[in-house]
Amino acid sequence: MSRKSLDRKISRRKFLGTSAASGAALAAMSTGLSRVSFADSHTIKIGFLAPLTGPVAAWGKPGLDGCLIWADWVNSKGGVNIGGQSYNVEFIGYDNEYDAAKARTGATKLIKEDGVKFVMMLGGDTWPGVQEIAAREGMLFSTLLPSDLSPDSTTLLAPCEVHPIYNVTGVEWLAENKPDLKTAAMCAQDDSLGKPSVATYLAAFEAAGIEMVDEPLFFDPATTDFAPVMTRLLSANPDILCLDTCYADYVHPLCEQAFQQGYQGQIISCTADFYQKIIEKTSEEFMEGFIFQFPDFDDPALNSEGVNFVNPNEFYAEYAKRYGASEWSAVSWEYASIMDLWADAASSAGSAEPAAVLEAMKADGTGKHAFGTADWWGTELFGIDNALVGNWPVVVIEGGKATIKDFRSIPAWWDQHKDLMIKHMTDLGQMWNQRG
Amino acid sequence: MDLLWQTAVNATYAASYMALIAVGLVMIFGVMGVINFAHGELYMVGAYCVVFLYAQENFPFLLAVAAGLIFVGLVGLVMERTLFRPLRDNPLGGLIASIGFLLILQTLAVFGFGRRMGHVPPWTQGKFEVFGAILTYQRLFVIAAAIVLLGALWAFLKRSKFGRALRACAQDAEAASLQGISMNQTARIAMFIGAALAGVAGALTAPLVSPTPYIGHSIIVTAFIIIIVGGVGSLEGAVIAAVLYAFVHTFVTTFFDGVVANIVGLALMLAVLVVRPTGLFGAKERA
Repeated sequence: MSRKSLDRKISRRKFLGTSAASGAALAAMSTGLSRVSFADSHTIKIGFLAPLTGPVAAWGKPGLDGCLIWADWVNSKGGVNIGGQSYNVEFIGYDNEYDAAKARTGATKLIKEDGVKFVMMLGGDTWPGVQEIAAREGMLFSTLLPSDLSPDSTTLLAPCEVHPIYNVTGVEWLAENKPDLKTAAMCAQDDSLGKPSVATYLAAFEAAGIEMVDEPLFFDPATTDFAPVMTRLLSANPDILCLDTCYADYVHPLCEQAFQQGYQGQIISCTADFYQKIIEKTSEEFMEGFIFQFPDFDDPALNSEGVNFVNPNEFYAEYAKRYGASEWSAVSWEYASIMDLWADAASSAGSAEPAAVLEAMKADGTGKHAFGTADWWGTELFGIDNALVGNWPVVVIEGGKATIKDFRSIPAWWDQHKDLMIKHMTDLGQMWNQRG
Repeated sequence: MDLLWQTAVNATYAASYMALIAVGLVMIFGVMGVINFAHGELYMVGAYCVVFLYAQENFPFLLAVAAGLIFVGLVGLVMERTLFRPLRDNPLGGLIASIGFLLILQTLAVFGFGRRMGHVPPWTQGKFEVFGAILTYQRLFVIAAAIVLLGALWAFLKRSKFGRALRACAQDAEAASLQGISMNQTARIAMFIGAALAGVAGALTAPLVSPTPYIGHSIIVTAFIIIIVGGVGSLEGAVIAAVLYAFVHTFVTTFFDGVVANIVGLALMLAVLVVRPTGLFGAKERA
């Protein structure tokens, strides 16, 4: 409700008109349809099946926003060259509200009605709703959560995020740079995003010689008051507070609670979306040294030679211009980076058909990941080599600004500590052959 | 930090805002016989009043809270006039209408404020220690406001003419009507107070939670557990059940985990229903 609308005097006619418009908008929402640009005869449609509303929207909507920038840039340069013909790219959005049943409906619509050639998802709790359709239709899907991968889903790729495996890089960096910190406490929401991340952090802490002061504390995703959670975490005086892969809606109040309950130690988290607002709720001093895994793309370190993301600083500037810098989130660039891979593969395959693109993408066992050349990997952990894994940045808040401190190799960590990872994943029932 | 005291302080805060919400829900049910499923969304609207007035438009926090109380009370009046009065003889219709209204409120919140959590800066970062536990001024304010508001409501119900009319309608609407008490007027008052209590709970706690258009879901589930434990229709029961539920849930969350706490909360409700089907303070049959 904007101030402008409040200031207006609402006539009966205007009220009825607004109501009709609201009804139409509601109807559009109920079908989940969000057509974000218009097709022409040389257009390839890409499905964007992710939470655009609800508590997980922070990992869907900013990604679609980033894709719109990607599409504008690519289309303004003539589109993607496939088999000698240039094609514009159109994104068809569908809001699955992080619900498996809605994801199933969305996947069916995108494939059957819209004729998309590729579907990007957040994954997690929504993937089981789509798995059968993906297998039946042979459609190429991507997920940000490689814990969705399994040998049963040969057309599902994790070409950008290797959540939660990259979290090991943050812990490794922390152990090397702050060796005096020896104990940790951790909490996570009790869902398919939280649990594999807990297993990963447990493995990483064990590998780094950091002791857990307590069992990981799981909380209900419907939690609104985080004071009891934080009280429990702080009760054992940990050197490190680990917020796992909590959603932004949880990271913010958890940090605020830690601040209010007098915590002054180290915090590590997978994400710190909209961290400027956390600083506003706590203080710059409190957030100094906060470690997480997702850089702002205005970071000069992203201009280094190995980084494959196209014009990261310009992308960030355009994103900030369109949506505001404080709207930048962990996923703002990720879906766009997947589109870079898809476009390269479609061009080299000379076809946008899912099977041809998949084959081209994995042709030599490596791929141009956003943060450097990486390997298609994952058989031991996911039962299939469909995750593109290489380097990942470690990000630290310094002076109120996210700063890349290092790029670390995930495969190098894996080669040394894979037994620990498999042990903790197995203990929490998160191996591919344990998931239902 | 003393763990037991800190947990008790956390539980007291939780009991405070839960009591405000649950008492509002009981008021509406007691007088109108309607199960208001949109009550969680009234809490959400109260929270967004603070997001809009305090966080976005820089009005003083107290003014934003007062505006939240009044605005949500007025929303309650609209609900009473447009939804519940035409369906007065159809409790199921009222329930379904309230479900429809909650979707409208959610959608309006999404249109007005976006899908993501609203950001409300703290109005103070002050805190003090009590028996080794840390209590922030923000949480203390919620506790104090709940005590004052519930005390004022108690005085209103016991001492004022309108309060007596409300209690009479809650006991026997037909008999009250025969005594010349206007059902429409008492329903309006009950709806205004019930909605305003949910709204002020949302407004007071907005800086302490992450308001989203969907926050009402978890709120309404908790509120229903509380009023069932306390006895549907009993204001005293709602307050005592809020305290009981908040302490059980908070202590179990702290000493076990949040998922177990939810199970224990539901088990508490089931146990009360088995031992005392009308709830702790409920009458055997609503008049």
